Amino acid sequence: MPDVIKVGVVAYDPKVVTIWEGIKDYFTANRIAMDFVLFSNYDAQVDALLDGWIDIAWNTNLAYVKVHRRTDGRCGVLAMRDTDVGFTSKIIAGAETGIESIRDLKGKRFALGSRDSGQAAILPAYFLKQNGIDPAKDLTTIRFDLDVGKHGDTGTSEVEVLNAVTTGEAHAGAIGDQYWARALAENVVHSSKVRPIWTSPGYCHCNFTVRAKEDEQRFTRWTDVLLAMDYNKPADRKIMDMEGLKRWIRPQMDGYRALFEAVDDLQFFN
Amino acid sequence: MTFNSSTSIDAQNLSAADGLLVLITRALDKLKPGEVLEIVSDNPSLEHDLPAWSRLMAHRWLGTIPKDGRRSHRIEKGSVLRVLIDRELDWGQRAGIKDGRFDTRDWLLGHAAQIRERAEPSDGFAPRGAAVERGSPDFSFDVLDRNQAWSESAAEFYEQATAGHWDGSRDIPWSALRPLDEELERAICQLMTFLAENEYSALYVPAKWIARIHPHFAETVLFLSTQVRDEARHIEVFVKRALANGGGLQFSSASTQASLKSLLDQEDFIQASFLLSVLGEGTFLDLLRYIEAHAPEPVTREIARRTRIDETRHVHFALDHIRHALRSDGTLKAKLHQAITDRASLLSGVKGLNPLVEESLVILAAGGLSSGRLPSGMKARRQLYETMHENRIRRLISIGFPDREAEDLSELHTPNFM
Repeated sequence: MPDVIKVGVVAYDPKVVTIWEGIKDYFTANRIAMDFVLFSNYDAQVDALLDGWIDIAWNTNLAYVKVHRRTDGRCGVLAMRDTDVGFTSKIIAGAETGIESIRDLKGKRFALGSRDSGQAAILPAYFLKQNGIDPAKDLTTIRFDLDVGKHGDTGTSEVEVLNAVTTGEAHAGAIGDQYWARALAENVVHSSKVRPIWTSPGYCHCNFTVRAKEDEQRFTRWTDVLLAMDYNKPADRKIMDMEGLKRWIRPQMDGYRALFEAVDDLQFFN
Repeated sequence: MTFNSSTSIDAQNLSAADGLLVLITRALDKLKPGEVLEIVSDNPSLEHDLPAWSRLMAHRWLGTIPKDGRRSHRIEKGSVLRVLIDRELDWGQRAGIKDGRFDTRDWLLGHAAQIRERAEPSDGFAPRGAAVERGSPDFSFDVLDRNQAWSESAAEFYEQATAGHWDGSRDIPWSALRPLDEELERAICQLMTFLAENEYSALYVPAKWIARIHPHFAETVLFLSTQVRDEARHIEVFVKRALANGGGLQFSSASTQASLKSLLDQEDFIQASFLLSVLGEGTFLDLLRYIEAHAPEPVTREIARRTRIDETRHVHFALDHIRHALRSDGTLKAKLHQAITDRASLLSGVKGLNPLVEESLVILAAGGLSSGRLPSGMKARRQLYETMHENRIRRLISIGFPDREAEDLSELHTPNFM
């Protein structure tokens, strides 16, 4: 292992600094020298990982797919959050639109999140195509390209999608289920105006990516210490609540297949 | 797929956005990790909403099956704790309410009745008996020991205090004031100025300690807050009396200020309480009785009477509190002795009471400055000093000082009274 393990993190919000100072303290307490490096966007972080500036990248699923492509599949993955597994996208529709299923979307105004958001743009467009609706031909799409470069982390574009469907600007739209569940719990969904009509198959979201498969062994101790973080310990809970997880888990790579297909299908990196 | 549901709720058509998540959360609270909650519903959105919510909350989503033309959704409770607490909550005990009164003495129920030897800094502002989450920050209260802060009778004195509150604007017969002989009015105004400055110390000293005593000893904190309230009212009526009858506020002496500052500077709660309430306010009881007895009009008389009743409560609380502390701390008596001698040496430059106050005491008892009546005023004041000394000795003996030591300590008490 290097003297100080450098983890790249995209600063999508000021709280990222608080989270990662906490994680750094946690590793220090476990006698592992770790530091974090902030990036303003995932492309820069991916470059830094491949150039060896950082050792580990805390990546979105899309950033991971990009690293995978650029390393010809030789990259490795250390861990992910419990909430990164079984992630889904939802299609929500205006309650008065009569839209009951994907078939009913044909010819409608459809809202999508940032063009580099896996959950609110890339995967929904792919799943719609799989289900017989080609967004380019069958829908009038309304795109909220906000915070591009941050892969939808800020959630601002999903707020706009929900808003557009609620007000009728769009007949329907796509969002990630994490934002949807939070919006429900935080009482910002008007159930009389908007409802979910379809849920995608589950897929995986973020992970800790390393340049090479061999690095998974090199960073075994780092990964073991991360996985030992305990939500029932107050200091750990503070960090985990901010980062949106209850447990760190080992990677489940099956969950990225859909996104690989989607970026190919949409020729996203071309 | 078969399920073994522990509990089932009928959610009818309630949507996740309209309160169903609260219903589900409360139902899951009653289950153990691994137990299953069934939600029977007619709302078609739930099969989209509940899997996402379950994932976020770390519960296991088991899926949806049709049931009698409706849908049955199942969630297995996860193992994470919503709140990091290590014990069960109290439930099911009713307080004893007599004749419509819930007396503060009767609130010792369940965990609220457990008075610890040492309060936990991280219990912070949680009321005693609440289950406090692990990870709550440590508060910097510095009076944490039961021996320092607890008093068996604080709740009783608190009840007396709340029942005895009065209104300084209305309960004093202000309209009964008539112009007085100028020298007599001046004497009263000087005494009121002196009383008000002393009561400022009697307000600030407990106020300072309230902020430093752990809320675990709630009864003590609540009682001290009534003491602060009492002193605020006393300051109010003393100042109002000085202003009410054409006179005005008079002199404040450097020696009085020095004496009062030494009380505020005390850094030990029991010692501060001893010096302020047992010795200072104790001495004030005789002063207020003197003013009541010699007041030439009903306003000053009523002010002295009402404030003396309040002060009596403060003295009794402090005596009781210190007796309790003395029982469990064998070294405390020596510390209290030391506190008096330390204060006496600190105030060695204070040779006597503010002379303007001393004269005012004579003029008040004499009913004015007439040469014929001044001897009776001088006699009354001498008698007051003797009574103050005797009563201080009596109080010191009552908390366990031997007669001779009590007498010596009483003599060391500041000539400023407070």
